Amino acid sequence: MTDKREITLTVNGTERTVEAEPRKLLVHAIREDLDLTGTHIGCDTGNCGACTVLKDGEPIKSCLTFAVQADGSEIMTVEGMEDLPEASGELHPLQEGFREEHGLQCGYCTPGMIMSGKALLDENPDPEEGEIREAISGNLCRCTGYQNIVKSIEYAADELNKEPAAADGGTVTAEQRFADDDFDCGVENCCGGPSTETPHVEGADPQFDDVGGDDT
Amino acid sequence: MKAASFEHHEPTTVEEAVSLLESLDEPTILAGGQSLVPMLRFRLARPDTVIDINGIDSLEYLHEEDGYLRIGALARHADVEDTDVIADRYGSFADAAPLIADPQIRNQGTVVGSMAQADPKGDWGSVLIAHDGEVTARGPDGERTIPVDELFLLPYDTSLMDDELLTEARVPAPVEGEGSAYHKLKRKTGDYAMAGVAARLVLDDDGRIEDAGIGMTAVDITNARAADAEAHLEGERPSADLFEEAGELAAEASNPESDEHGDAGYKERMVDVLTQRALGDAAERAGAVKRRVPQ
Repeated sequence: MTDKREITLTVNGTERTVEAEPRKLLVHAIREDLDLTGTHIGCDTGNCGACTVLKDGEPIKSCLTFAVQADGSEIMTVEGMEDLPEASGELHPLQEGFREEHGLQCGYCTPGMIMSGKALLDENPDPEEGEIREAISGNLCRCTGYQNIVKSIEYAADELNKEPAAADGGTVTAEQRFADDDFDCGVENCCGGPSTETPHVEGADPQFDDVGGDDT
Repeated sequence: MKAASFEHHEPTTVEEAVSLLESLDEPTILAGGQSLVPMLRFRLARPDTVIDINGIDSLEYLHEEDGYLRIGALARHADVEDTDVIADRYGSFADAAPLIADPQIRNQGTVVGSMAQADPKGDWGSVLIAHDGEVTARGPDGERTIPVDELFLLPYDTSLMDDELLTEARVPAPVEGEGSAYHKLKRKTGDYAMAGVAARLVLDDDGRIEDAGIGMTAVDITNARAADAEAHLEGERPSADLFEEAGELAAEASNPESDEHGDAGYKERMVDVLTQRALGDAAERAGAVKRRVPQ
């Protein structure tokens, strides 16, 4: 047995250290040492993609790389999705997409699918269906037949494209978005949309105006 | 743990890697690891020491220089997909890269590592054959150049010495009137080729074929050259009939084995078809004018 080594990984934005033998696979370091069991081990042969994580922003199979090879890199796992600004503290639009579009049945492939989807949308915010299929071609799903997974990623792309762009071209955070009083999401009783409690505006609709209404 | 224990060395220069190769007992070199890591974890390979070259920054390049497309040992398959000069000028490379494995594996696996692995089902060997490519090996006595035809000996076996490191693969930059393509038959994404053919054509001012290169994947014990087909093309004008003859010659030169995906006869027929298609694309990219067929 060879000596353990200290490996430093920035996982989902937090610096973590792991003591590992060189032969330890990255997926085992993530699941067993860091206790982040969202990253799955499916086939154990490098085929299925359930173990997909982002290493320095690019999707890789964490069962096909040793933890020591990731020393010093930034790793993102499915657990980090909710912390992204686009998630607004809740589910990320990709996760929401899988829920809304029924993109999972047993759910085993889902973390890998989400990470591949994330890598795609980071690079190509408005992908064609074929591009989505290509992006998840390294991820196997034995339940869904893929149709709803593709729809889930399309849902996320649509949601993310709806986000108003910030002045610097970045994405607007929830706080920034709702700090703007004039923002109108168009939904009744929500952020500026038509509401029963909306203050009456003179001239906005004659039937409610003092002049010309029923009570005159 | 999946893999047997090994000592992990991380040189940061080529010199350091070569001196480790010289001093350690039968070490294995780890680059992208997309073939080696599975071999280690299934214990098909049990080296005592692994020399991880991912820290050698000087090997991270992919560019045209001094009349060659030069691919450093740490250039990934995905880098080939993302390089503009390849999309513009190297049709065979641009065709082959996205057909390799899947996106995650292309982000890790390297072109040069695939050459060193010498899997007869690897795609890059055929592309290098079609382009008359070569590789650079660095050993204790310095550098030597190995033409790709002299690199592959047997499945997973090359003419590299135990203390040599492959640092670069390169092909001559395309000349005026050159075009190339790669066609691959596989059942689904992630599979190796059942058969693959890389073709390169150079047309002279008169539109005749001045030079031709054809490399074949997965149909012999190594990536193989279809030399008779190449010779048959040279001096002729590109045409469907000519490419049909070349396809037949390539099929004759191939030596596939029957397996669960198809019998040898079927694969030979596929070599024929893929050769014709690759030659057609190469000719078009070389600027050959398609003759209008009278109705």
